[in-house]
Amino acid sequence: MQEKGLGLWQVAIVSSMGLLVFLGLWEFFVRIGVIDPFFLPAPSQVLLRMKQMSTGPEAVLLHDVRISAVRVLVGFFLSATAGVPCGLIMGINPVVRAALSPIISIIRPLPALSWIPLSMLWLGIGEEQKYAIVFMGCFASVLVYTMDATMRVDPALSLAARNLGARPFQVVRHVIFPGALPNILSGLKVVLAIAWTCVISAEMVGANSGLGFRIWTAKEWSDTGQVLVGMLSISLTVLLLDITFRGLERLLLPWQTEGTGK
Amino acid sequence: MNNPVIRVELVSKTFRTRKGGVEAVRDFSLDIERGEVVCVVGASGCGKSTVLNMVAGFIRPTTGKILLDGEEIKGIEPRCGMIFQSYALFPWLTVLDNVAFGSRMKGVSRKERYRCARRWIGLVGLRGFEDAYPGELSGGMQQRVALSRVLANEPQVLLCDEPFAALDAMTRQIMQQELLRIVRESSKTVLFITHSIDEALILSDRLVVMSARPGMVKATFDNDLPRPRHMDIQLTEDFLRLKRRVWELVQKEVVKSMSQK
Repeated sequence: MQEKGLGLWQVAIVSSMGLLVFLGLWEFFVRIGVIDPFFLPAPSQVLLRMKQMSTGPEAVLLHDVRISAVRVLVGFFLSATAGVPCGLIMGINPVVRAALSPIISIIRPLPALSWIPLSMLWLGIGEEQKYAIVFMGCFASVLVYTMDATMRVDPALSLAARNLGARPFQVVRHVIFPGALPNILSGLKVVLAIAWTCVISAEMVGANSGLGFRIWTAKEWSDTGQVLVGMLSISLTVLLLDITFRGLERLLLPWQTEGTGK
Repeated sequence: MNNPVIRVELVSKTFRTRKGGVEAVRDFSLDIERGEVVCVVGASGCGKSTVLNMVAGFIRPTTGKILLDGEEIKGIEPRCGMIFQSYALFPWLTVLDNVAFGSRMKGVSRKERYRCARRWIGLVGLRGFEDAYPGELSGGMQQRVALSRVLANEPQVLLCDEPFAALDAMTRQIMQQELLRIVRESSKTVLFITHSIDEALILSDRLVVMSARPGMVKATFDNDLPRPRHMDIQLTEDFLRLKRRVWELVQKEVVKSMSQK
């Protein structure tokens, strides 16, 4: 299945041209004074600020990126470790599903931000509190994505497995889990982005390190350049994680990428 | 004559729905002898798949019972291997692992189960495709994989739920021929569900016509067309004579079932 009309190289060229035109216009409007650099500095200024922040005595950027990324990954990992098994069980067993669904429905709509007061009261502003925020923001989503994925596995596959002599537990292990895995992984990909918003919000409200903290303090000093550098760093890190995740998907689901089959 | 492999004894099935019960099958009885190929034909919705699913143990009859070798079928029965219309292959497993699935569940060693799977893959003519994923294969090839997966599990009875219905007409004929050959070579007992009279006449030793819902045995024909059969049997006088007799019966039921909806 090729892209309609455009080859891989053509897409790359057109995409980078789009980006360049956007950045060029932005730079242009700042230079001619239509945009006040105090509110929105030009791309060149942002780049300069980024260089300052990643070299010399003020080199905090990579440190912040690392701290935020570790918070995201630990929280994400915890919520996936808890959420995937719970979602599987809920997807398979209608009694468990009926029993737990109301609780999940109450937790799921809560934004991660709303957990900040309680979590600070319980855990202070240390790392545990950041993990807890991510966990509370992600767990219910992981669970619901996994539950839906589990319930969407073709029931004929489970019947076929039973017919071939698989016991109920083997059906879960060898049919339902691998059958649900593609949808579980695409759910986790969405949740990974949610985990980032959780960490950034938590860092803005109560922290003394991390990208969210850096952005928030820059605003206090009206350092819009630093705000933009922080935002850009989030984008780039998320992009990097997304690419890594895609690689992981390809590794775990070889049958979905090979050939033309679905 | 010895005991039948499958004995369906006055089986009825009523499904509960929101609007009350729907009687899908009523007082259905059928004996299948060892090595016999029995085809059940009927209009869509006549409950023929329900009968098959009960023999597989996927659903329990409301009344009556089904015996396999004199023993009542009470749960999902691996000795009755099912071929699904939708193939039901595991898309994340290669052809080889799909075919080896049954022995893997039994804890057979990797080496042994692959050896056995390769033999069956060869038998259905898929040598060279062991490492392909089902999504890379055509419908006909996928159904061959499903067939070898069930055969590798060495069931006593082969249950076929319109297995070739989703294939194009030409592939279907090839697959019918393949099935005839494999059944002859392995002398399997087969219960085959279809809505195609041609297919039933080509494959069967005996042919059961089901009535419109609730499904009952409307008539049974002994199919004495000579074996081994080839596709050109469809052009013979005997075939057409038999087909006409079956069609006259089925036609009434089709009309009846159309007025039910």
